[in-house]
Amino acid sequence: MKYLIIGNSVAGINAATAIRQNDTNGEILIVSDEQTRPYSRPLLPNWVIGEVSFSQERMFYRGNDFFEKNNIETLLGKKVESIDTKAKIVSISNSESLSYDKLIIASGANAILPKNIVGIELEGVYTLTNIKGARKLKENLDNIDSIVIVGAGLIGTKMAFDLSKIGKKVVLVELAKRVLFPALDDYAAELVQAELKKNGVEIILNDSVVQLNGDKKVSEVVLASNKKIPCDACLLSVGVVPNTTFVDENIRVDRGIVVDDYLKAFDDCYAAGDVASVYDVVVNIRRPIPILPLAAKEGFIAGLNASGALIKFNGGFAMNSIEIGNVGFISMGLIESDDDEVLEYKKDTEYRKFIIRDNRLIGVILVNNVEKAGMFNWMIEKAFDVSWIKDTFLNSDFGWKYFDKAFRVLRLDRKLKG
Amino acid sequence: MKLVKINEDNCVYCHLCEVACKTEHSISKDIIKAVKKENVLSRCTAEFNYPYSASIMCRHCDDAPCIFACQNGSMHRDERGYVVVNQDTCVGCWMCVMVCPYGVIKQGKNNNDWDLSVKCDMCPDRGIPACVEACPNEALTFEEL
Repeated sequence: MKYLIIGNSVAGINAATAIRQNDTNGEILIVSDEQTRPYSRPLLPNWVIGEVSFSQERMFYRGNDFFEKNNIETLLGKKVESIDTKAKIVSISNSESLSYDKLIIASGANAILPKNIVGIELEGVYTLTNIKGARKLKENLDNIDSIVIVGAGLIGTKMAFDLSKIGKKVVLVELAKRVLFPALDDYAAELVQAELKKNGVEIILNDSVVQLNGDKKVSEVVLASNKKIPCDACLLSVGVVPNTTFVDENIRVDRGIVVDDYLKAFDDCYAAGDVASVYDVVVNIRRPIPILPLAAKEGFIAGLNASGALIKFNGGFAMNSIEIGNVGFISMGLIESDDDEVLEYKKDTEYRKFIIRDNRLIGVILVNNVEKAGMFNWMIEKAFDVSWIKDTFLNSDFGWKYFDKAFRVLRLDRKLKG
Repeated sequence: MKLVKINEDNCVYCHLCEVACKTEHSISKDIIKAVKKENVLSRCTAEFNYPYSASIMCRHCDDAPCIFACQNGSMHRDERGYVVVNQDTCVGCWMCVMVCPYGVIKQGKNNNDWDLSVKCDMCPDRGIPACVEACPNEALTFEEL
């Protein structure tokens, strides 16, 4: 059996691991346009500012012996040009082609380059979703004094703080009325904004970049409000779009590759990770959920199913863990609502917020007291009936002590997984 | 694979398990230094809500969500089959904390270095986990779960 995996990051590697677990003899080949040993993408901002290097094991996703130990072949530095799902052939650069029995597409998602921004081709414009983009920024970092960051999402906000920390003048521009718009509500976002400002970041909300000016290199950013910001560089972090250009007509693509509950896109063809449109159980739609823990789980399940299992992926939801300076938070699901039951607790720097619909937890924000976050994650995932326990959620010491004995013992004895 | 079974009816909230855990995971292996000087984080946590009390720690799940969540493979299964954090590579991103259904991973803050996830490692240097041995009432026992 020949298994071919497109993509050598979180989803692809977990797919390969699952296949090898299930099939000790099958040939597994991972093809990727990246040359590097698989690395941690969340650490790229830290790498750019020099907090971690590629000579440290912590930079990498798996050990140096991972492929050898698991008998996985890799073909690196090769870009997939097209797939023929009927002939079961994948064409890569230089007219090479690879045949497969089972295919897993784990090609990820990369930075959106907004086509409406005039001047986007100027030098000094950066993105940060992969090593190629990060390297470009790192190489020029010493020549950058001031930078405009477009998009205050997870990458943009983290980079804004980090670059300001090393002495750059940072202006963070965001379309929405707050930073980290889908991950935090107004109150929590304001805590982050205060921390950013305290560390020298200038924040411009309710605005967007329409034009980049400069002679070969960007020297000024023009906003929709007509504000003009002089700068040496511009980082575009407005979101990611799945890499799907190579698929054929048998593979449906909405925002990402459309898959069923078994992560199957077509006969003998699966998709997992940032590239796949999966079921979001909180907002009840199919969409790519580009979150690392989900990519790993999806990759693993796709790998199991490609190698003969029939395991449902029950869906996921947005979840984030960020620290911006002294403000640390974990949020998940739907973080604001006018129509659902909302529980809130604010004291000093701690914030707890829970959104409940039909007695099911659908959203959580925890700021600065986050250690029990996973318990709530489990409740959202299992659509757990919280009617009997929700009145203890706001307690700072929430934990097993508030559960009833029978349930607690079943769970702690590992008898009940939900 | 043996695990620490939690028998809450026997627990009297004495915290000896926590002290033993801190000592075992300290550098000095001295009780007073572990608690007062090194300020070691206990991997098990005694909790109380009268008449309930129990010490809770990692269940070493078969399908551990923390391993999937880890961004650089720090969270992994060791040769014994237990789920452990590689303290040399953990960067303290708390994604494991975000997904642990038992809420048993702690944030080890480190002023001079990377923050680290802290959780039960089933005492790799011992035959019986320190908490089990320290418990005076068999509120923690070492058995197949």
